[in-house]
Amino acid sequence: MNRITRYFVCLAAVLLLSDMAFAGKLKLPSGMGGVPDIGAIPCEVFSNMMQIGPLGTKRSLLTWAEGYYFAKSGKTIDEILADAQEAGTSWDFDSLTGHLVEYCAADPQALTSAAVIDLGGRLLSVSP
Amino acid sequence: MTSVAINSSIGKSKLWKPPIVGIVTFVLMLFAIALGHTSMVLIEHWLGHERTYVASIFMGVGAIVLLWYGVKSKNESLQTWIGFFAGLIIWMTWVEFFYMFYGRANWGMLPRMDGPDGLSVSGTFPEYMIMGATIGILLMQCCFYTFDKDTRCNMFLWFQKKLGLRDGLGPSTKKAKDRNYAIITFMETIYVTWFCYAWNLLCFDPGLVGSDDLFFALNMTSVFVAFVWSGYCFSRLLKFKRTSTALRYAIPVGSIFWISVEIATKWNLFTEIWVHPWDYKIEMTVIFGAFLTLALLLVMAPKKPSELGKARPNLNLGEQR
Repeated sequence: MNRITRYFVCLAAVLLLSDMAFAGKLKLPSGMGGVPDIGAIPCEVFSNMMQIGPLGTKRSLLTWAEGYYFAKSGKTIDEILADAQEAGTSWDFDSLTGHLVEYCAADPQALTSAAVIDLGGRLLSVSP
Repeated sequence: MTSVAINSSIGKSKLWKPPIVGIVTFVLMLFAIALGHTSMVLIEHWLGHERTYVASIFMGVGAIVLLWYGVKSKNESLQTWIGFFAGLIIWMTWVEFFYMFYGRANWGMLPRMDGPDGLSVSGTFPEYMIMGATIGILLMQCCFYTFDKDTRCNMFLWFQKKLGLRDGLGPSTKKAKDRNYAIITFMETIYVTWFCYAWNLLCFDPGLVGSDDLFFALNMTSVFVAFVWSGYCFSRLLKFKRTSTALRYAIPVGSIFWISVEIATKWNLFTEIWVHPWDYKIEMTVIFGAFLTLALLLVMAPKKPSELGKARPNLNLGEQR
């Protein structure tokens, strides 16, 4: 294999690897709003999104959180909230998402997943 | 002031003749568009979103009341000004703020993201995503104006000529004295603004044009078309003598020119100081002052009797320059 061929082989390998890395990154259809993984963005981005699309952004992270809590506890959000209600704590859409929003506003460098985990600490601690 | 005196003052005026009338109305229109953006930002800032949505209902009603006075007036100049401001207010309140309410607060739409990592909030806010979807309604309305024999818009008259519709449609049933310039200017302001928004939004939509080569090519073409089109119209505007007609004609000229401004800001070529009035207080105050001065000059400019409702010549085709 001469030198030029080696360069081409190396170049092809780099391109292939970069393409694989690119393909590994999830992208939304380009016309859509939002991000592919709302649980994995910095709180600062979440807060910026909140200014323009507050309701949708809150709902999106809450949906992510519900999946996370189900994976952790095997319970749906309604079951978790029912447990919390029995323990004397009442939650609704505004208070749940309000906690996430406040957490992110207080710590812009954190990831949104940290806000979800923090909220989960309160919800799941009272859920048997 | 009598008709004779008015005509005499026009003849003597060294200021209010071509191309000054055209230049002043064009610059005024650019300031008006910039200040329209600023007004929306300030209303949102002062009232907050929730109150803005409610207030926009009443601001729009106020604009319609204003329009009602304009329609009743016999003064073409006053009709034109009222039609323009009422159109601008209705667009900002009943269109943009209402879309904002539906997109952000009622339907819970997520903001579209931008940037290399997709983590920057795009300028195409939810209300503009909704507005992009109104293109079909806009085109349907454009069909009406294309096939309406009473339309006097130069663009539609050109379409009618090229489509060979003139003979089929027959002569217009309306003469100049039958036309109410308040409602005409009102609708013109709304349709021109809508058309230019739709043009920009289609060219910015990553779902339709992506964000690479097609996006770049389409927006470069847009800049070219907007420059040529507005430049051609501006050259016609420079020949206008009547301030009322010039003001109406300047609405599309300024708006089409503004398409390039929007594209330039999308490419981050400069900062939209008109949407950051708090950061550019002096600049925006100067622009506001300049707008008021130009508007005042136009209001005080000598008018032809026909502009003041004293008498109107019977015109069959096109508007008097």
